Amino acid sequence: MSEPVARKSEIADGTTKRVTVGERSLLLCNVEGEIFAIEDVCTHDGGALDQGELMGDRIMCPRHGAFFDVKSGAALTLPAIVPVQTYKVRVEGDDIYVEA
Amino acid sequence: MGLIEWSMMATELKEQVSPLTAQALVEDYRYGFHDPENYVFKSAKGLNEEIVLKISEMKGEPVWMRAFRLKALELFHAKPMPAWADTAALSEIDLSNIHYFVKSTEKTEQSWDDVPDDIKRTFDRLGIPEAERKFLSGVSAQYESEVVYHSVVEELEKDGVIFCDMDTALREHPDIVRKYMATVIPPGDNKFAALNSAVWSGGSFVYVPPGVEVKMPLQAYFRINTENMGQFERTLIIADKGSKVHYIEGCTAPQFSTSSLHSAVVELIAMEGARIRYTTIQNWYRNIFNLVTKRAVAHKNATVEWVDGNIGSRLTMKYPAIYLVGEGARGEILSAAFAGEGQHQDAGAKVIHAAPNTTSVVTNKSVSAHGGKTTYRGLVEIHEGATGAKTRVRCDALIMDDKSSSDTKPTMKIHEQQSTVEHEASVSKIGEEQLFYAMSRGLSEADATALIVNGFFDFFVKELPMEYAVELNRLIKLEMEGAVG
Repeated sequence: MSEPVARKSEIADGTTKRVTVGERSLLLCNVEGEIFAIEDVCTHDGGALDQGELMGDRIMCPRHGAFFDVKSGAALTLPAIVPVQTYKVRVEGDDIYVEA
Repeated sequence: MGLIEWSMMATELKEQVSPLTAQALVEDYRYGFHDPENYVFKSAKGLNEEIVLKISEMKGEPVWMRAFRLKALELFHAKPMPAWADTAALSEIDLSNIHYFVKSTEKTEQSWDDVPDDIKRTFDRLGIPEAERKFLSGVSAQYESEVVYHSVVEELEKDGVIFCDMDTALREHPDIVRKYMATVIPPGDNKFAALNSAVWSGGSFVYVPPGVEVKMPLQAYFRINTENMGQFERTLIIADKGSKVHYIEGCTAPQFSTSSLHSAVVELIAMEGARIRYTTIQNWYRNIFNLVTKRAVAHKNATVEWVDGNIGSRLTMKYPAIYLVGEGARGEILSAAFAGEGQHQDAGAKVIHAAPNTTSVVTNKSVSAHGGKTTYRGLVEIHEGATGAKTRVRCDALIMDDKSSSDTKPTMKIHEQQSTVEHEASVSKIGEEQLFYAMSRGLSEADATALIVNGFFDFFVKELPMEYAVELNRLIKLEMEGAVG
């Protein structure tokens, strides 16, 4: 957890930001001021979630509408069944660190 | 599976939506939409936010449902038409030339005698009341956008079984509807699921409590009666742990010179050890576009069976799906399609094995005649870790003449080595020897052809209740008249 991956001020409440950590693409989600990190991959068809809409703590996949809980990673609706990977997040000042 | 929370959007909506009263809407209709068929309400053609809000307001829906509809409308506009489908046929649909909501009566009647005479005559002719007396536990009849007649035997209600139309379910059992609706088919799944989510009306809701077995089938009948109309019923069936239910639906529409659209969403949820059988016979007129999303989820040791017959329509796109998410879950999809002149039956099946020791059987038979076209489009997917999964897919196409055609497009995605996958497909032409043999026994050419086609569909017909089997055989015979020679 050496380098910050993004600044919190870049991610407004209710929005997301895609970042790359190592070889992974992660999606940082601002849910009412708290930042959560998930892998930026829909477990249904392998596409990215970053163009999906964040509604509260749920993100909707832009292709087939599957919903995921960004806090737990759970797949809330079909066509997704498998949870999306989540990552631990630490915020220090404006800096966001992710354990990935 | 979890609850989709639409309330956050709903809170924002409260500010935006001006409260239209139901009374104002009815008055608006009475003066604005004079209709010789004497409907209570018929929306103007085309689809926009105002129409979606009117539907919701007339039904007196909670704010979360209004938010759900508006979000779905946004998704519908944003999503393109499916590019992999029969795009030439799809381009014939003029989405701006459709009445999205037609309300035929003020309320759902519990007694057959109270159903308005003209509607009653239609359903009498279709044999609904007779079928109800003979072998059904309950029946629901939907005319245009809403259910006009509904009954359920008392015994079932005592057992806690809920069988009603979706509008009633939303009013009387909002918590169950909110918990499960759109968890199997979310509005963003595809363009037509989004459309249905925006303008849905009617459809059936079934909840069977744990351990309860519904011995006789429940039935719903859907009838489109207006030209350029869209019917968008939404059905949700939940079989709780260890319960059993068989649901049957039938659909028809009269002959019109321009097309109508039927775009349903059907969600089935079979909890642990439960069993759901869903039987459909769709006999639409030749200019109905039948674009339906049907999907089931089967939990541990549950069984889901789709028995799906498609006759008629201009274009049918229907791929009943089963997601086997619990260990030992079982799925079976039996489907039969008949495409005549100017028709395309693009039907198939999807099975997703997402847990160990899940099994599935897909059997599809299609006949194309008089220049008709059939397509089998199927998917079998076995997830990594679904050890011991077994699937068998068989699709057979029978082509009656040189003008007709058939395509088979199976997709298999197998990510688990410890699984068994079988696939068989055949395409054949009706055999002259078979015909000659039957005709040498004194049958006319048409009778001989119908006999062979009925034999081809036999596997399917024998799964139907007797009344439906007889009717299907009769329909096939009618379709086959003049098919050869």
